[in-house]
Formats: sequence, structure tokens, C-alpha cells
Amino acid sequence: MNETPSKPAMSPVKVEAIDPLDSAVLDMPRQAPRFNVLSAIQNDQPHAPAIHPSVAHGKGIVEIKDFSLYYGPKKTVHSVSLSIPVGHVTALIGPSGCGKSTLLRSVNRLNDLVDGVRTTGDILVGGESVYAPGTDVIDLRRRVGMVFQKSNPFPMSIFDNVVYGLRIHGERRRSVLEEVCERSLRGAALWDEVKDRLQSSAMGLSGGQQQRLCIARAIAVEPQVLLMDEPCSALDPIATLKIEELILEISQKYTVLIVTHNMGQASRVSDYTAFMYLGRLVEYGPTSHIFQTPTLPETEQYITGKFG
Amino acid sequence: MDDSSTSLSDDGSRRSRRRRLLTFADGALLWGARSSGVLVLLMLASLVVVLAAAAWPSFRAFGPGFLTSSEWRPNELERPMRNEAGQLVIEDGETVMEVVPPEFGALPVVYGTLVSSVLALVFAVPLSLGAAVFLVRVAPKWRIAGPLSFLVEFLAAIPSLAYGVWGLFVLAPLLQDRVEPLLRSVLGPVPGLGWLFRETVEVGGQVVTRDIPLTGRDMLCGSLILAIMIVPIITAISRDVLKAVPRVQIEGSIAMGATWWQSTWSMLRYSRSGLAGAIMLGLARAAGETMAVTMVIGNNNRISPSPFAPAQTMASLLANEFAEASSTLHRSALLQVALILLVMSLFINILARWLVGGSQAHAAAAH
Ligand SMILES: Nc1ncnc2c1ncn2[C@@H]1O[C@H](COP(=O)(O)OP(=O)(O)O)[C@@H](O)[C@H]1O
Ligand SMILES: [Mg+2]
Repeated sequence: MNETPSKPAMSPVKVEAIDPLDSAVLDMPRQAPRFNVLSAIQNDQPHAPAIHPSVAHGKGIVEIKDFSLYYGPKKTVHSVSLSIPVGHVTALIGPSGCGKSTLLRSVNRLNDLVDGVRTTGDILVGGESVYAPGTDVIDLRRRVGMVFQKSNPFPMSIFDNVVYGLRIHGERRRSVLEEVCERSLRGAALWDEVKDRLQSSAMGLSGGQQQRLCIARAIAVEPQVLLMDEPCSALDPIATLKIEELILEISQKYTVLIVTHNMGQASRVSDYTAFMYLGRLVEYGPTSHIFQTPTLPETEQYITGKFG
Repeated sequence: MDDSSTSLSDDGSRRSRRRRLLTFADGALLWGARSSGVLVLLMLASLVVVLAAAAWPSFRAFGPGFLTSSEWRPNELERPMRNEAGQLVIEDGETVMEVVPPEFGALPVVYGTLVSSVLALVFAVPLSLGAAVFLVRVAPKWRIAGPLSFLVEFLAAIPSLAYGVWGLFVLAPLLQDRVEPLLRSVLGPVPGLGWLFRETVEVGGQVVTRDIPLTGRDMLCGSLILAIMIVPIITAISRDVLKAVPRVQIEGSIAMGATWWQSTWSMLRYSRSGLAGAIMLGLARAAGETMAVTMVIGNNNRISPSPFAPAQTMASLLANEFAEASSTLHRSALLQVALILLVMSLFINILARWLVGGSQAHAAAAH
């Protein structure tokens, strides 16, 4: 860990490019860019994440504000602040167990289901607080769609799956349901494959098709944000490729926040990338910046597979 | 190097000896398991064969009509003979008597068994599903799932006699004194519901319509006792079935913005075949239940549409009459009833296991 080769020409260039008003960046050690941040994190000392100025404006569709989460006594997310730009794909990367899923599931308050969860700080979705006392969680989850690691179609027909969200929110008109079903399935690049068997069970679809069906189900209610937790990790390479294409396509209309374990995937599908480590945000910026000229050597080390 | 290689081969031979021993033990266990399996099947087969053989005289005497006849008369009957025109036959100034042989028909008890079991399900299913949902979705949060589950399983282990005694001394008097009079005063005057409280019977050769005497020991009481007895088993199996619903299914519906009820409904829907199986197992249990039902159902071999009239089930008929059956035909008829009950329970059980097993395999595949 400590025998990192120092990176010539990297840190001076980078730091100059950064908004001098961003105190988090200014606080960073300029001269000795070793694994200071990671060792600080490991020793539970305060550290300053490297935030690229392009995402430091605080006008994101999702604003994570000094958010911490505890599973019982165990602090799993440590004061993360993150601004997710609207209309783009943002990837969360980091070693397994660093709290990516936990952070993602905090956005639609799915962690409410877990016993003994406590949070501090707040998250805003479309300007509305997620954790304020009077929050309508049902409405929040309607505005924030989610696609899971393991595809989870409901044991009903393809059609009923896609319109599930509309139905539980009270839409009964057949014509509306049919229209939304077709639009969502087209949006999920699944229409041509299933249009002749909308009434057959969704459980009969292949793994990749099931995952695209779950995406169709999520976008059927036109969410403001789409959360994806390693949506391809259970799929074969071809199905993965299709989902990646789909994510790129979807990002024209939706904001996507995706957790991925796969560096290649993050670089292919995302516009912005946040690197997390042990529940902390380490570096956040445009994907090209993170993958080609990261501010911190730690980030570069992780991305090139030297640890994690 | 040499040393280590000898010790290695030593070790190897010891291991192979051990393996041979294990293989032998494996084989012995396998054979043991197989033969106990076969033994169980043989017992079942012999049960069916013995029952069928014993029921044969009755089957020969009544044929398939056994299932459709409502007459259950163990003793022969002496009555005035009538001619084709229905007039009494009088010879030498005296009515001529005729002797009618005993007759057996299972329709009333088949009816009693089906109706009491289905009524029991009507009472028990909502309660059981509610309890199972509570155990799976609410109780864990309050940390009372463990004790409550234990309680449910304990209820399932209470001997049926205890339920019967409680039914006889608590439930039946309560029904007789409070519930049924109240129901009669409320529902009785409602047009179209009169049949609930009135019956047409033949008393001393005359057909009369009268109020059903409310005794508290009737179809309703039998069904309620059955319901109480099958709630634990339906609850316990439904709980297991609901627990097997993959987390990602529940989260999937919640993440779509489902309310608590909507996601619970999704859960029930997901496990519907397993729940159907749990209900069927309850049905099988209700159909075969004997002791408690015999004590509270009123034991009357008559088909009455009213739940406030006494009734009889196959099991209660056997419990009531088997010990005192004197004639071969009577005993044979009772055993034929037992055979019908056995076959019915067998089918319900197989169907139930198939449904429960199918749903669990389904859930396992989705994990
Ligand atoms: N429901 C839970 N209860 C307690 N601890 C949990 C729970 N879910 C996750 N954790 C813990 O929180 C940490 C972060 O988990 P997670 O967010 O799933 O990480 P990632 O998605 O980055 O792999 C892990 O140490 C994990 O063990
Ligand atoms: Mg994860």
C-alpha cells in the first residue's frame, strides 16, 4: 500500500484546475499525495473528499447533505455529501461493503425496512427533503425508481408487471395502462421481444429480459431519479451489454444513480463517478476526470485494480 | 523425503479403510431409510386393504347408493304395511305389520363433514392469514415473533379432547344462551333467511314446521371448534410460506411506492399456492377431526341447511357408533364411511403438500 509510485505531473495540474473557493479541495494535502486519505479513513480521522468543481454547485436533483447512517451501533455511511446532476448517469464505485448499496437505498428510504437504522443529515430529491419528519415516503418512492441487483419481476403477467406502479397508485383506465405499458417496454428495449405475449407470465423471461422488464416497470411511473444497484451483476456479458446500452438510452430522459462493481461499466455508462471507501466519499467528479486524471492517487490505485 | 512418503501412504491406507467403513455405513443407512419408507407405504396400503375388505359387505348391499342415501337406520324397523295406493293393509281386522331391514346411507355425514369443514375454513382462514402476516411483518419489529410463534405451535399441540371440553362447557352454552338467540332475533325476521331458524320435520307421522330448538350443540358450534383447532396449523404453515418470500420481492413492491397493505398483498399473491396448501392442510385436519366435534356438533344424522341444527360428521359418526355396532352390516357400513374419510383426507393432503412444496421450490428458485 505504501510503496505507491508518486505520480509525476498529476497533482499540480489537477489542483490548479480546481475552484479555489472549494475548501474541501483546498484542505487537501498538495505536496505528498500518498495514501493519506485512505489511512485517515482507516484510522477514523477526518478527511476531505476531492470534489470536482463541476459537481460542487449543490444544484443536483439528488442532494445528499452530510448524510450518515447507522445500522444499530455500527456507523456505515459517514457524513457523505454528494450532488447528483440532473439528466446524467452517476456511478457509485468502491470496494465491496463500503456502503454503496446502503447509500443508494437511503435515497428512497428502503433502509426503513431494516431494524435499528438511524440517520443524520438529510437527502433532498427534487428539492424535497427525504428525511424530514413529515415526508410522504410513498410519494418519495414513486418519484425515485429502483432496479435491484437480482431481477425481481412479480409473479404475474408481463403487462401487469409493467403497470404495477400505476395500478397501486390508483390508475384503472385500460387505455392508459396499455399506452404506458407499450411506452415503457419500448423504453426498456423489450417491446419487440414481448409484444406478442404481454399476458404470459414474467417469470418465463430470460434473466436479461427480466432485468429489462424491471427497468420498464421502474420507468413506467416516470420517476425523477432511477436508482440501480449493480443491475448487471447477475447477467451474462451479452445481457450486460444490452442493459448498458439501455442505461445510456435512458439517461437522455432520466437521472440515473448506479452502483457498480465493474470499473469498465462505470466508465462506459456514467457521466460522473463517486468513489467511496469504508462509508466515506473519497473523490467525486466527471467520469473522464476520475478515470483518466484523478485528483487523488488513491482513486487511481482503486480504478487500476491495485486494491479493493 | 522417503520418510514423508511412507507416512503418506500409511495415511492413505488408513484413509481408504475409513472410507470403506463410511461407505458401508452409508449403504446401511440408505437401506434403513429405504425400508422404513417402504414400511410406511405398506402400512398405508394394508390400512386401505383392510378397510376395503371390511367395508365390502356394506358396499355389496348398498352399492354406489351408499353415497346418495340419507337413511341411516342400524336396527330393523317394524311398521304397518301399506299397499301401492298408500293405504294401510288390513287383514282380519288388524293392520298387517312389515319388517324393514336396516339401511345405511352416508350422505348426511358426508354433507356434515364437508359443510362443517368448509365453515371452519371460512372462520379460520382470515384469522390465520392475519396472524401469519402479523408474525412475519409486524411481530419481528416488536421482538415478539419468537414467543408468539411458540404460542401458535403450542396451540396446535393441545389435545383435541381439551378443545372439546372447552367447547362443551364454554362455547356451546355461550352460543345457546347469548349468541344464537341474538342472531335469531336479528336475522330471523329478515325475509329469505327464515330457513336459518325453522325446520320441517316429521313428528309421529305428521309433517310439521317448527322453530329449530337452539341447543348450542350444532353445526355452528362444531365448525367454530374446528376453526379454533385449525387456526394454529394454518397460521404456522402460512407463516413459513410467507417467510420464504424473497426479500427482493417485498422490497421491489415497496420501492415502487406500495403501501404496507399493498406490499402485503403482493406477498400473499406471491405465495398464493403455498397458502392454498396451508388451507388445504387445515381442511384435511378439520375433515378428520373427531373428539372435539363429537362433543359439540349434536350428533344428528340429518341434513339440515341451517347451521343452528345439530349435525353429524363422518368422524363423529364413527366415534358415536362404532363401539356399539352389533350387526356385521352396521359395522361394515361404518368402516365404509371410514374408508371414504381416509380416501378424502389422502387426496386433500396430497394436494396440499403438492401446493406447499411447489411454492417453496418456487421461492427457493427465486432466491
Ligand atoms: N441490513 C443490514 N444490517 C446491518 N448491517 C448491514 C446491513 N446491510 C449492510 N450492512 C453492512 O453495511 C456495510 C455496507 O454494506 P453495503 O451498503 O451493502 O455495501 P456495498 O453495497 O458497497 O457492498 C457492510 O459492512 C454490511 O455488512
Ligand atoms: Mg451492494
